[in-house]
Amino acid sequence: MHAAYAAQPSHPSTVNTPLEARALSHAFSGTNALLDINLALPAGSVLGLIGRNGAGKSTLIRALLGLLEPLSGQARVFGEPALQLSDAAKARLSYVPQQPEALSWLSAAEMFEFLSRFYPRWDGDFAKRTLERWGIAPKRVMAKLSPGERQRVDLIRALASQPQLLVLDEPAAALDPVARRELLREVALRAGEAGATVLFSTHIVSDLERVASDIAFMHQGRLLMHCPVDDTKERYARLWLPANQSAAAPETALSHRRHADGSLSLVVQREGDAWPAAASLPGARVDALGLEDLFVEVAE
Amino acid sequence: MDASIFTIQPNAAEPIYRQLLGQLGRMIAGGQLAPGERLPSVREVAGHHAINPMTVSRAYGLAESEGLLERRRGVGMVVATQAAPAAGDQARMALLEPAARELVRQARELELPIESVLKRITSLWEG
Repeated sequence: MHAAYAAQPSHPSTVNTPLEARALSHAFSGTNALLDINLALPAGSVLGLIGRNGAGKSTLIRALLGLLEPLSGQARVFGEPALQLSDAAKARLSYVPQQPEALSWLSAAEMFEFLSRFYPRWDGDFAKRTLERWGIAPKRVMAKLSPGERQRVDLIRALASQPQLLVLDEPAAALDPVARRELLREVALRAGEAGATVLFSTHIVSDLERVASDIAFMHQGRLLMHCPVDDTKERYARLWLPANQSAAAPETALSHRRHADGSLSLVVQREGDAWPAAASLPGARVDALGLEDLFVEVAE
Repeated sequence: MDASIFTIQPNAAEPIYRQLLGQLGRMIAGGQLAPGERLPSVREVAGHHAINPMTVSRAYGLAESEGLLERRRGVGMVVATQAAPAAGDQARMALLEPAARELVRQARELELPIESVLKRITSLWEG
């Protein structure tokens, strides 16, 4: 129904690509969950994965990390098949699921003490400081924490291990606005300075707009677009055509919406530097489109 | 000058690097940033606003190539001491950019030919 954005950034498939999906497809009880997903994250990039609930974001993340065996296709982490990851690769990777459950009979302090032995770059000061700032009692057994607190502990755990690849599934849900800003700051600076690669899924578009270098839209198991955030904003716009010009709608439009008066709203992209020819017809209007609007238009 | 000189609107249709570049141009042209003045580092701006450091680097890099900023060893980015004349024009044009875009948008809505609009601007200019 929608034309996928064809000019996907092409990154060489090498061990320098920390995370990669090759033709990943999966289904749950006959329903398609992932449809031929190809995706590569170059080192140092921050990819924001956006989509409605049920679009397949968590499934894609789990398949990418080898936590789920796809029906077809392959995922690779640091160049290794995700389903047979070496311990060395696992030590360079941190993943925060939406509902962490591991080691819940321990307190946060005990879990951090335990994990610090496995991660050579463990930052104990950061862990301690952030627990305090995010209002977590370090001695409380994690099973007794609220789901939000539990996810906060897990975010701290993931950041303290100073991973080269950080994967966060809906990290914003557990955080108040101040803590969310802090998390984004950590993500941005670690990617920019330590060269960490980050994948995070969210439905809060403004978070993504702050820190993401690239954006991927998921819809009904497909990847609709994958491109740099700045390009996305400059490349796409809403084209409005009055009823008497609506026959001139360019075929390449990503979405069509007809209004009651016969006029037409389309999402169009630049061809080279120019908008499609229909944009210069009498009465036509091109309006800039924020990511949130773009997302709503293409996901309808 | 600290990183709070910039105002970021992440959900605006204008990309963040363009917002930074536009604000730099206007602050320099408007005299709020004086020649030789040190700019907050990429890390300070990225940290303060929780934005990607590459976005800040991109804006600073473009500002440097437009002659608005200079990279000074051991100090970082400073406002260019002698902005080239072209850069000066460009910086002042940046101030006008939002108004120009709005004028074009409204002219399109009114379906006015560009020639008439330009003619009117010229006659206003010549007074």
